[in-house]
Amino acid sequence: MRLIARYAKELKNDFEVITIYDKIIQREKVPKDTPSMQTLAKIHPCAVWFERKIYDDFGINFSDAYDKRPLVHQERFAKNIHPMQKSFTNKSIQEVDYLPYKYEEISGDGVFQVAVGPIHAGIIEPGHFQFSQAGEEMLHLEVRHFYKHRGIEKMLEGKSLFDVKAIIERISGIESIAYQICLRDIMLQASKQELPKTLKKRHALFLELERTIHHLNNLGFIPNDAGFGAAMSFASKLSEDARRKLKEISGHRFGFGAVDFSIESIDKTSFLEWLDTLQKDIDFFEDWIMDIPSLWDRFDTTGKLTLKKAIKYDTIGVVARASGVSVDRRIDKFYLEHGFEIANEKSGDVAARFKIRLHEVKNSILMMRNFLDENSDDFTLNIFHDGEFFSFCESSIGELLVTIELKDGVIERFFVRDPSFINWQALHLMMRSDIIADFPLINKSCDLSYAGSDL
Amino acid sequence: MIRFWSRRLYESNITEDTDLEKRLYVIKKNIKDKVKKKFAGSLAIRMVDSGSCNACEAECNALSNSYYDLERLGVYFVASPRHADVMLLSGVMTFNMTPYVKNAYEQIPAPKWVVSLGDCPVMQAPFELTHAINAPVDKYFEVTHHIAGCPPTPLEIMEGLLEFLQKI
Ligand code: SF4
Repeated sequence: MRLIARYAKELKNDFEVITIYDKIIQREKVPKDTPSMQTLAKIHPCAVWFERKIYDDFGINFSDAYDKRPLVHQERFAKNIHPMQKSFTNKSIQEVDYLPYKYEEISGDGVFQVAVGPIHAGIIEPGHFQFSQAGEEMLHLEVRHFYKHRGIEKMLEGKSLFDVKAIIERISGIESIAYQICLRDIMLQASKQELPKTLKKRHALFLELERTIHHLNNLGFIPNDAGFGAAMSFASKLSEDARRKLKEISGHRFGFGAVDFSIESIDKTSFLEWLDTLQKDIDFFEDWIMDIPSLWDRFDTTGKLTLKKAIKYDTIGVVARASGVSVDRRIDKFYLEHGFEIANEKSGDVAARFKIRLHEVKNSILMMRNFLDENSDDFTLNIFHDGEFFSFCESSIGELLVTIELKDGVIERFFVRDPSFINWQALHLMMRSDIIADFPLINKSCDLSYAGSDL
Repeated sequence: MIRFWSRRLYESNITEDTDLEKRLYVIKKNIKDKVKKKFAGSLAIRMVDSGSCNACEAECNALSNSYYDLERLGVYFVASPRHADVMLLSGVMTFNMTPYVKNAYEQIPAPKWVVSLGDCPVMQAPFELTHAINAPVDKYFEVTHHIAGCPPTPLEIMEGLLEFLQKI
């Protein structure tokens, strides 16, 4: 079974820990006075971050866990505060004395540590990477994040579903549409309604356009990190064009506010025209880039994640598909009818992740064609019923999960599992036979979100 | 590679949106002039993300695509605060980032300026205050100029930089 998420919530007398697998959902009660339970990390290594987060958020202890270090709460965060408990209502906290974080380190003769971050050299989000190095070779990497932790889960509690839309679409700006679709599905579940097909197609088109933009960006950035800047000039122009197109059809360059229930038609001719040019350009790009041996020399065998490890770490999205795992939330009737074809590679290296993106751009172009629709249906939402709702969406990074519990019409518990939260934990596995100069390339080939995983 | 260059030769420059191009032309010219006068032809910016949603960063990255091509005007995004004149600050200044942002600012040699980017640092984005957020950033730094928007478009960022250059 694939572990999707593990999180806790507070009940009247107990805490409840909810574990979501791809097939089942398990619930365990933990008494508030002795909040302790067993770890899952021995079977599912990616449970480590979930459990460390649960401790930080609620103070629930995993008695047999091998890693009990704080995750979200960094050096200056007071140790006895667990902000997700309902009794915690402070809007600001004091910095306490600096308590150093103990990094995972390999030591030995001539082995040294390289600390990178939280602020990086380029225009990228902050996060920390701690390397144990033997000369140029990376012996180990620890990924340490949560510098961008904004307390979003807490921020949304007590609000109605309509009030949270603007925040949810800004959790991770480059996956905004995917987040909005998750919220849309939760609204529909809460109002017990079905979405008219035309709206569903419209939103699916936005999602594929968002994926196209993200992938195009990476198709430029990845070669750029291998020293081939021309690809970046080419692809960044295409992604800018795509972003302008998104603005044209949704009113915003990142599609903020795009997924709503109003019906506006898309100018079909101009959109199709643009799709044709993009198709031509991407074919040209592929033809050109496949033919540059020195580039593929850097891509091939670099940053390899084996199929076995990809499954063991429950990876998802582009990373998993590049290692031969067929996971994609778009495997359903609706998408298959509109031309969806899952991308699959086996080698698990930078080359494979690059090819997956190329394939997905081409597939998205095809799907966008099929999602264009002229008819429109009227739609208004009914009132929302209380309950616990789960929704999934395949963002440009991978499977996104949003869960919301509504009680008395307002949010009692809000939880998000960004695909990056899982895939970050598999990043260190890709470094085994590479040198530190390859790290930016490997990291970029996965292109995970910091904002989405830090919340 | 030959295919690439032959296509480049045949198609040469393509202008798609003439209005935008005209506006861009004027802004570019002004930025270039100002950078030349006030920063001897090179303005170094250290972009620091203090807890954004990443859209503001994406727009800054877009500044180097061939439409905007900011580097041609003498404006560089540098890797270290020690090489910078300006700190361009995005995000809501999270509790966890605050010490590092302060540190980055201290590392910038004087004279230095802070320009805030997007609605986040001034708490105008939809986010609300939690225990993990320390914004607005003017509690920590004197902000010379603010570029509003959620996110500001590349063009708006360029206009904002120009306003900043005119201000100082
Ligand atoms: S200002 Fe808006 S776009 Fe920029 S980081 Fe904040 S939420 Fe994202």
